[in-house]
Amino acid sequence: MAAAPQAVSAPPSAATPNPSKRKTRPKGKGSKNKAKKKKLARSEQDDSVRRQRNKPSAKFLKLLRKRARDYNSDDDEEEEEQEHPPSPRRRRRDDDGEDDDDEALSHSDQEEDEEEEGVSTSAVTRFEQGCRAFRVAFLKIMNKKLPDDPLGPILSAHKKLVAAKLAEEAEERKPKGEARKEKRVAAEKGHVIPKDHLDSKEKELIKVATKGVVRLFNAVSKAQKPRKDLNPSRTKDAKVLAKERKNTFLAELEMPSHQDKKSQAPSNFSKMPCRTNHMPSLFLSKCHNCRTCIHPLERTGKDEHEPAWAPLRDTYMLGSKLKDWDKMKDSAAEMQAEVPLGDSSDEE
Amino acid sequence: MRQPRSGPGKRRGRGPRIPATTLRKQQAVLANVDQITGAKIPKSFVFSRGKLPSTLRHLQQDLRKVMLPYTALNLKEKKRNNLKDFVNVAGPLGVTHFLILSNPKSLPHLRFSKSPQGPTFTFQIEEYALAADIANSQKRPRCPPGIFKNSPLVVLSGFSGLGNPFESLVEYFQHMVPAVDPSTVKLAACQRILLLKYDKEKEVIDFRHYSIKLQPVGVSRRIRKLMQNNQVPDLRDLKDVSDYVTKAGYGSESEADDEAATVSLPSDIDKLNQASRKSAVRLQEIGPRMTMRLVKVESGLCSGDVLYPWPVAKKSVGKKGKGTEEEIEGQEETEDEL
Repeated sequence: MAAAPQAVSAPPSAATPNPSKRKTRPKGKGSKNKAKKKKLARSEQDDSVRRQRNKPSAKFLKLLRKRARDYNSDDDEEEEEQEHPPSPRRRRRDDDGEDDDDEALSHSDQEEDEEEEGVSTSAVTRFEQGCRAFRVAFLKIMNKKLPDDPLGPILSAHKKLVAAKLAEEAEERKPKGEARKEKRVAAEKGHVIPKDHLDSKEKELIKVATKGVVRLFNAVSKAQKPRKDLNPSRTKDAKVLAKERKNTFLAELEMPSHQDKKSQAPSNFSKMPCRTNHMPSLFLSKCHNCRTCIHPLERTGKDEHEPAWAPLRDTYMLGSKLKDWDKMKDSAAEMQAEVPLGDSSDEE
Repeated sequence: MRQPRSGPGKRRGRGPRIPATTLRKQQAVLANVDQITGAKIPKSFVFSRGKLPSTLRHLQQDLRKVMLPYTALNLKEKKRNNLKDFVNVAGPLGVTHFLILSNPKSLPHLRFSKSPQGPTFTFQIEEYALAADIANSQKRPRCPPGIFKNSPLVVLSGFSGLGNPFESLVEYFQHMVPAVDPSTVKLAACQRILLLKYDKEKEVIDFRHYSIKLQPVGVSRRIRKLMQNNQVPDLRDLKDVSDYVTKAGYGSESEADDEAATVSLPSDIDKLNQASRKSAVRLQEIGPRMTMRLVKVESGLCSGDVLYPWPVAKKSVGKKGKGTEEEIEGQEETEDEL
């Protein structure tokens, strides 16, 4: 009974002496086996090209792993697998496919070969030489002086073709650019950007406009000014004011529209569009302030006896055709119905 | 059970409730008939015919802003729209004036016409500057958005003593904006000016658009700035407030012009400009600037008889006939001589 537990405990103890290795080796073996199996399976399915590629790579991986494990730059280890160096080198040659590098690489390869044959070098030093070879090749390219070609370093053989194409494109672009420039200039025709905001001409125009505004404001202030002697806040005076205003208002409503024939005064400054003709205003019978107004020509044709305020006229909102509506047919009545509807529409 | 709200509260899914005063104002703008005069409020469409380059499109937008509020600011036109379409739409909306921009032979033209069968005045725009250019050229551009709520005042100058067609042109411009009644108009509502000045030497019309600013006269610059900014000034270096108030500042050169432009106001306009006080009218340019030359006047809407320039066709036919007669006579004479 006691032997069994001992026996049980023995294999684990035997397995423990190299705990580090114990973990890696079976893993490596197992994974390697698995990887090998996987890769073999894949290569069986794929083309021959893949098989060729995978075959060296698996072994190469193994090599790399071994190197990583046993890395010691001072050691000169015997190369175990001599047939592998040519394959990685071949791979390297395929990768660097540039024409210029061929010579350099071949040189380096030859160097490697010679060294290989002569002295048994370690895998690490071969790696170094590969790096050195790459370095040499790279420096050679970088130190190469390129011709100053606008086309840039073209490595293909179709240099002339590309040059011709680019020249064509440049030619096409020139007339197009010119046409576009012309279009732009034509679009801006007449567009003058003011350099200095206020030059003399503009100042004069502003003065003219200001005079017009001043006239209007004076007219307004005369029309709307409250009487100075009466204070609007006092109720007595307020009543007097209101009465006065009402009287003048009604008088203006009933009075016919004014016809000021003095309107064509040849004054050179602004003429206000005074509309005192057709509205109730607090002006007296003649528009004092607007003597220089040009009254619109159509007003001369109005009937002198009509009141000034529009709704008081008999022809308010009626066309002249509808004066005798009761004598006209039904269609006229429909039209009359339409007119007020049209006026009260509130869509924009 | 809650009773559903009725009366003015019921908006039927039209958004938040608008107060009654605003609603009335909106309806006033949309109205076709002026409340006081009974005359129609002139409304306008500003649009273009043909393809316009981008600067002319900006000019079109600037012109729309000039004609606000009685114009369609965001009018969308399509290539296939004819003039007839615009006329058809204008009728029910109460639009009376058309401003048509075009660019034939890459020369910008502007046509003013009256719908539906009014006269058409065609101008060639010789020079123009956009509102943005003018704002860039000014040191302190001023264009508060509230000034577009009322239509501009039109000031015409230099048109005296000219015969037709300029008289009808004057009439047209006067009718382009709604009438101004001096007894009821609020001065605060007059904020823009449209100046059209005729230059007799060059025979061109200058089109300018200004904004009106009232400045109190007799108030020193410091106090005015204080009232405007509502900020406490820096009194570090002064010993007494009276130093700040009574310090004599230099007057700007434009103050001399203000004397001619002084008005006394009938009512309060704002804090600074109060009733029965003197204020100066200062204009600052906004909006586009144009120099136009009258090229053609037609009696119809872009059609009809050409009223200006005077038709020359008959005269030339008569001349030709005379010329041939003379030639024949000459030949006969020479034959006779021979």
